[in-house]
Amino acid sequence: MYRYDQIDQTLVNERVAQFRDQTRRFLAGELSEDEFRPLRLRNGLYIQRYAPMLRVSIPYGLLSTRQLRMLAHIARTYDRSYGHFTTRQNIQYNWPALERVPDILADLASVEMHAIQTSGNCIRNITADHLAGVAPDEIADPRPYCEIIRQWATLNPEFSYLPRKFKIAVTASPADRAAVEIHDVGVRLKRGPNAQIGFEILAGGGLGRTPILGKLIRSFLPQADLLAYLEAILRVYNRHGRRDNIHKARIKILVRTLGAEEFTRQVEQEFEASREFAPRLDARDVARMRGFFAPPPYQQLNDSSPEIGSVSSGTPTFDAWLRYNTRRHKVAGYRVVLVSLKKHGEAPGDISADQMDALAQLADRVSFGMVRATHDQNLVLADVPQSALREVWHELDRLGLATANIGTLTDMICCPGLDFCSLANAGSIDVAKQIHARFDDLDYLYDLGPIEIKMSGCMNACGHHHIGHIGILGVDKHGKEWYQITIGGASSGPAALGEVIGPSVPKDQVSDTIARLLEVYVRERRGDDERFVDAVRRIGIEPFQERVYETNHSPA
Amino acid sequence: MRRIIRRRELVADDAHYTGEQAGPDTRTVQPAAQFIAALGSGQASASGAAVVIGPMDEVEALAPHLALLTLIVVDFPKIGEGRGYSQARLLRQRYRYGGELRARGAITRDQLFFLARCGFDSFDLDPGENLQAALGALDAFSVAYQDGSDELVHVRRRAGPA
Repeated sequence: MYRYDQIDQTLVNERVAQFRDQTRRFLAGELSEDEFRPLRLRNGLYIQRYAPMLRVSIPYGLLSTRQLRMLAHIARTYDRSYGHFTTRQNIQYNWPALERVPDILADLASVEMHAIQTSGNCIRNITADHLAGVAPDEIADPRPYCEIIRQWATLNPEFSYLPRKFKIAVTASPADRAAVEIHDVGVRLKRGPNAQIGFEILAGGGLGRTPILGKLIRSFLPQADLLAYLEAILRVYNRHGRRDNIHKARIKILVRTLGAEEFTRQVEQEFEASREFAPRLDARDVARMRGFFAPPPYQQLNDSSPEIGSVSSGTPTFDAWLRYNTRRHKVAGYRVVLVSLKKHGEAPGDISADQMDALAQLADRVSFGMVRATHDQNLVLADVPQSALREVWHELDRLGLATANIGTLTDMICCPGLDFCSLANAGSIDVAKQIHARFDDLDYLYDLGPIEIKMSGCMNACGHHHIGHIGILGVDKHGKEWYQITIGGASSGPAALGEVIGPSVPKDQVSDTIARLLEVYVRERRGDDERFVDAVRRIGIEPFQERVYETNHSPA
Repeated sequence: MRRIIRRRELVADDAHYTGEQAGPDTRTVQPAAQFIAALGSGQASASGAAVVIGPMDEVEALAPHLALLTLIVVDFPKIGEGRGYSQARLLRQRYRYGGELRARGAITRDQLFFLARCGFDSFDLDPGENLQAALGALDAFSVAYQDGSDELVHVRRRAGPA
């Protein structure tokens, strides 16, 4: 992974000192709330329903066990002994005291971490494929480019006061596990005619109250021009993005208003006009950065024979875990393990300090001391020898982190909702629990196949509900919590925005409604392989609407 | 009397704007649009003029006349306004403006480091700001990841030529 040198370390240390002084001025009354707000937000600090919330940056989701232990220490020392992983591969703490935040930042700096730009109208954490570097299907490891972009974006003087937040995601695989189409800018690694690495660039995607998929604006960008081109996009946006209306300030509105063609023309023009002073990436810069992400010292191993999951081990729960919670690895003899943070009874994405410590210990033993966060709020042990899988399963099971539900209905994405967030209109955690309780039969979930439920407590869409196969959006109706349901959304392959099936439903009917949707799917599906979302694409939403809204039905 | 920061020193403000009274040692700063219109109508304008631009003004319109200007003031009317950073960077790096470039308005010490890196060399801050403390904020960071107009910070050098 990337390691800080003197420059990186000095920068985060000086940022801690700066924020300590800003907090002191606010507490002393020298800064008004209006003045302090943009300063604290760009350091990930929200004032929430009950307490401040601090969001800590995990660049492209990659953590060393030393860092994970520090996250556990922070949870224990400054919070209520747990943390919550987010859809930007970050972690947030819900109960820190404002005056202690500078101390938290100092602790983070001691392990090469920070909370810089985890909120506010600036360039946010760069996200990437959580299987980067180990996925058999990737073109090249995207993480060196993520780190190059991260550094360029960090305290970028020109782009620190943008019209609105700005999110960049990078993928190097056709399967696109980073959902680049719903980002302000999506970067796809690509090989050129001579096999050289370049990028396909998308712009203007985003969810929120106006969900839009990104438009292709450059089909092949040479490696050397990556930062120059990003600067051109950001400059056009910084100058011309709307600032008069917060709901129309994202780059997606600018791209839509100008049209993708005109937006592209302006970016290309800016790019050409800035060649003299824009940053250029030298091949040696990239090679140096690639060195940080060199593969760990894998042993010479052979793949298990017969292939993992192809025969019963005699332990059905272990077999199910192997099938749902592990993935192929590009190196023979290794396997990727997904650590489920979606246990029944827990808020999706939550993890306790003790679990973090125990997971760190496990990762030290079996996965080269590294852990990753995924954008769907799970964790990953990326480099586990196949011979250690049973031991890993035992340990994760003991820790409550082995629920064999990755990719199934109960592997839900969920924002903190009304329980914590001051923006939310409705709860999401208790709806997740309701769904978990209703669909607690794993065999039924396995029969249903892959289904992604994504839930947001308001239209800011932190839970990505638009791209859920089933999306759930909390709305406020005369002071009561109601839920609007969409179906047919997808984060990739190809990405799609879900369609609203009809009027929203009251809280106690959310899982009933899902049950009816599943009933239609089970009736209509073609063979065992047709996924829920594929069936929706094939037959449309009408059969689902009919079943959900039919009158005089007995509860499903 | 207003005081400003110029090239890292506290000095008396030397400017007055539309609607303000001229002081004994102040110069008139006119809106850029007015300055350009006057040039267009053939009214002679001595070199050494000073103009102010707002967030909506396009620096491209000013670009042909930069040789006539010794002061450009960029207005930041609201907290969080960010267009001025790009205006500064373009004036300095694309159009090679070498005169004084001043940031003015709803800015506090917390923005100074970024402003200076974009090419501003004088600052007319929010009236409530402590200017002595603000001077120190120019050195909030001694390192950076990006090339900037200042030579004050240690920038991560990439391997290759720029």
